[in-house]
Amino acid sequence: MNDPYRILGISPDATDDEVKKAYRALAKKYHPDRYQNSPLAQEASEKMKEVNAAYEEILRMRKNGEKASYQSSYSGTYSSSSRYSDVRIMINNGRFEDAEDKLSSIPPSERTAEWYYLMAIISYHKGWLEEAYNYASAACRLDPTDSEYSSFFNRVRRQRSGDFGTGYSTQGTAGCCDGGCCEMLSCMLCSDCLCRSCCN
Amino acid sequence: MFGYLQPCKDEMKIKEYRLYKSVYCGLCRSLSREYGLISSLTLSYDCTVLAMLYIAVNDEKYCVKKGRCTVNPLKKCPVCESGGDAFRFAGAVSVIMTYYKLKDTMLDSGFFKKTAAVILRLIFRRNYKKAAKAFPEIDRLTDEMMQKQTAAEKNNAGIDPAADPTAVLIKQLCSMILPGKDHRMEVFGYYVGRWIYLMDAADDFEKDIRRGSFNPFLPKHDGDLKNTMSYCEEVLNMTAAQMILSYELLDIYCFKDILDNIIYEGLSYQQKKCTENKMNGKSKHRHDDPDI
Repeated sequence: MNDPYRILGISPDATDDEVKKAYRALAKKYHPDRYQNSPLAQEASEKMKEVNAAYEEILRMRKNGEKASYQSSYSGTYSSSSRYSDVRIMINNGRFEDAEDKLSSIPPSERTAEWYYLMAIISYHKGWLEEAYNYASAACRLDPTDSEYSSFFNRVRRQRSGDFGTGYSTQGTAGCCDGGCCEMLSCMLCSDCLCRSCCN
Repeated sequence: MFGYLQPCKDEMKIKEYRLYKSVYCGLCRSLSREYGLISSLTLSYDCTVLAMLYIAVNDEKYCVKKGRCTVNPLKKCPVCESGGDAFRFAGAVSVIMTYYKLKDTMLDSGFFKKTAAVILRLIFRRNYKKAAKAFPEIDRLTDEMMQKQTAAEKNNAGIDPAADPTAVLIKQLCSMILPGKDHRMEVFGYYVGRWIYLMDAADDFEKDIRRGSFNPFLPKHDGDLKNTMSYCEEVLNMTAAQMILSYELLDIYCFKDILDNIIYEGLSYQQKKCTENKMNGKSKHRHDDPDI
């Protein structure tokens, strides 16, 4: 799939507006936020790069002077001031089993909110979604103020309620993002929370 | 498999429905050609989807021909034929999984079902042997999965470990579909298997309570079926969400409209059908639309 038009799923005769629309839909679909902590985060970011490159290629070919390129600002780094920075490094490097062993060796009395959060991430990655949900909920109970835990927990909760955040809802099944302003926000600011507040 | 992976027909275009049906008939025809007419009894919606996925991710050449139904030659139907291994693969999965499922039924069912399973198993034995010889890997993986499943049920496993064996089996089948160890296919397969297992568990919930059999949702049951079913729906939703995320990263070369329908409409449609029927006091929904 090297034809930039094929990557965006449009024909070479598409108008500039159609190109932009297709690009935005795909940028939303492969958005790093949707794949955060997912086992497929890497693949999603490759897709994102592919889509970005295709879009830029088309823009270049059409020489419209429009340079509205999308920059992915996501870099999966965590803050280093954490007690479990070694576990976080293991997770970042994809060594999930080592990370799980390390966490399991910590006695129950010393398990903090962060411990539960990291266990949630590991379970989520493994596909053991119920454990992920339970750990994440425990992490938020222990520390309701932490935005890292609550943003993960909220995403999981939205998925459980049947909100899959797909870009597919052309027939209006998901109900979010009908207005152009939302579309732009979610594209540029990586934030489905902003999008929600604007639609509600 | 169990027949939960289906498109939502109401949302399909006629041409999509025809194409879908032609794949179904193509698989049926391939089954009876390879293993004899009787094995077309093992035909299922899930294996139809498997064949479609096989063709879609490998960009296999296929064509739709006019033909007649193998089971009822008076009926005309379009039949899909592929230039590759899609139907042979899906057919072998169908025959092998049915054989193992009959073994399972034989071990833990009432008298009549048990007898039926024994007889069916004798009938399918030759076909199973042939399929297992052609695809020894599928046979080995299914055998392994059944053993792990039995062990998990003996240990009264929770939701995640109970769903793991089926999830891993479909994951491995998916990585056989697309050679070269494609991580996206594996993750997609894992969630497909997990979803199918959990759907079956939710669907069998009342029956399992009555019989005192294992069911992963049982520890969550507080006596009110409504609460348990909405809990099941949450668990299924989360699994479906992950399935969608991995599906969207796959390179799908054909059948995209139909597969989109199955993933975006079919999953939640099946979930609703199962949980809502139970809340309204109806049981089993599985066999209510055989008119494909």
